[in-house]
Amino acid sequence: MSHVKFKRRHVPGRAGILALTGYFFRRSLLNIRQNLVINILAVITITLSFLIISLFLLVFVNLEGAGEIWSEKVQVTVYFDRELNDKEFAALKNVIMTLDGTDSISYVSKGEALKRFSARLKGQESLLNGVPQEVLPSSLEIRLKQPFRTSGGVEAYVTRLKKIPTIVEVQYGEEWVRRFNTFMNFMRFAGALLGGFIALAVLFIISNTIKITIYSRREEVELLELVGATRFFIRIPFLIEGMLQGLCGALLALLILAGVSWAFLNHAGDFLLFNPQQAGLVFIPVTFCAALVGGGILVGFIGSLTSLHRFVEQS
Amino acid sequence: MIQLHNVSVTYQQHICALNDVSLMIPRGDFVFLTGASGAGKSTLLKLLYAAITPSHGQIIIDNQNVSRLTRSELPYLRQTIGVVFQDFRLLPNRTVRENVAITLEVLGLGRKEIGERVNKILTQVGLEERMQATPCQLSGGEQQRVALARALVNEPKILLADEPTGNLDDENKSLILEILGEANCRGTTIVVASHDLRLVASSNRRSMMLDRGELREAHDESR
Repeated sequence: MSHVKFKRRHVPGRAGILALTGYFFRRSLLNIRQNLVINILAVITITLSFLIISLFLLVFVNLEGAGEIWSEKVQVTVYFDRELNDKEFAALKNVIMTLDGTDSISYVSKGEALKRFSARLKGQESLLNGVPQEVLPSSLEIRLKQPFRTSGGVEAYVTRLKKIPTIVEVQYGEEWVRRFNTFMNFMRFAGALLGGFIALAVLFIISNTIKITIYSRREEVELLELVGATRFFIRIPFLIEGMLQGLCGALLALLILAGVSWAFLNHAGDFLLFNPQQAGLVFIPVTFCAALVGGGILVGFIGSLTSLHRFVEQS
Repeated sequence: MIQLHNVSVTYQQHICALNDVSLMIPRGDFVFLTGASGAGKSTLLKLLYAAITPSHGQIIIDNQNVSRLTRSELPYLRQTIGVVFQDFRLLPNRTVRENVAITLEVLGLGRKEIGERVNKILTQVGLEERMQATPCQLSGGEQQRVALARALVNEPKILLADEPTGNLDDENKSLILEILGEANCRGTTIVVASHDLRLVASSNRRSMMLDRGELREAHDESR
């Protein structure tokens, strides 16, 4: 006998794509309601997992912010072979501003230089008695743009700077810049490593939680197969449920963290030695929050898909 | 409608559940499969709705070879077959109405169409007052009728029922047989597995007896 393919049966009253989409969402919400306890447990697990990730991100973002503030101390000081008049200074400033990496320039006059030196000799200012005001040279302090605040960046910038004729000496605290960059690189590496481990652990926990919710409904999956549901029809509501679980978990985690963070920023000053708001502590940026929510939906989707793949294929 | 050619089923390579069974059930027929527990009745039904595959032989349903169906074609075969499982297989957290609607939902029907058909079938099986109840709130007979309604609601070409009257009182047995008879009158081919010989005898229908996996004899009570 020749093989005749079984095809989709013609049934009058079949719903259109929009109605079918509506059905899948309705069915998913109904499934959540009818399996409320296991769904709540899954959302709590996902929330706690995302709380760990978002807390880690919060700490990381603030450490990066602190690093950013410290990196502003990376600046280049330029000395000249002779005193410049206003016209020469303006011309030099224009030349330096055209150099790639220059953020801003400030002029330090001889008087300002002596004033700063005097401030550093706090309590021993008398040592400067009789010292003429012109003893210290005037200089230019150049702040660099963010990408140039690394050891390599500063060195390349200084090489270009030294080619300008009137400049005889350039100082930029090589050792400090090197140490600062080593510290920041170490922090980023440790953060990436720790973040990677946390993300893996969270993925494992969430995927297993979703697997348990699907396994608890294996009879439903088996029945659907026996009454003629296609794999697509069986999977879609579970995938929507997984995505909703991920979405709720990520949103709840961010809400809890935002609440705790707000309370800390506004009240930690009462019992800590510093005021967190003045220290520049911030919440996770909006783009990171959006990525976390998107990540929640994605993890829910992938968790459901892999669990269903194993379960539906094996049943 | 249904043809089995030298079909054998062996579990775990040495337990023979069916041995060289050949049979033919014409379209619109109403057949009882009888035999003691373990005779192979349920195995034969499982073969027909493709829950298991035969170790040997061919199964032809509606001129199509079931053994050659791919995984993606299988749902479309099952959509033409209604099955009443021995253990009912009702979903405990869904209402009677939702349990019956599943069969129509997998066909992709609209809400209105599903609502109308479910109401109609539940009225036919006498459960119109119990639509919002969950299976655990129903008696055994009522659960059996829900399972029957779920199998019949999409007007299948074939209905397979595994011990549909097991553990039921005489009144419920008669009711179930009556519902099956009505479906048969509407053109559905019906195969019922039952070990209740008294019921089979009283039904005046064709019967086939299985004994330790072999088809022993066939009676045509209706002739």
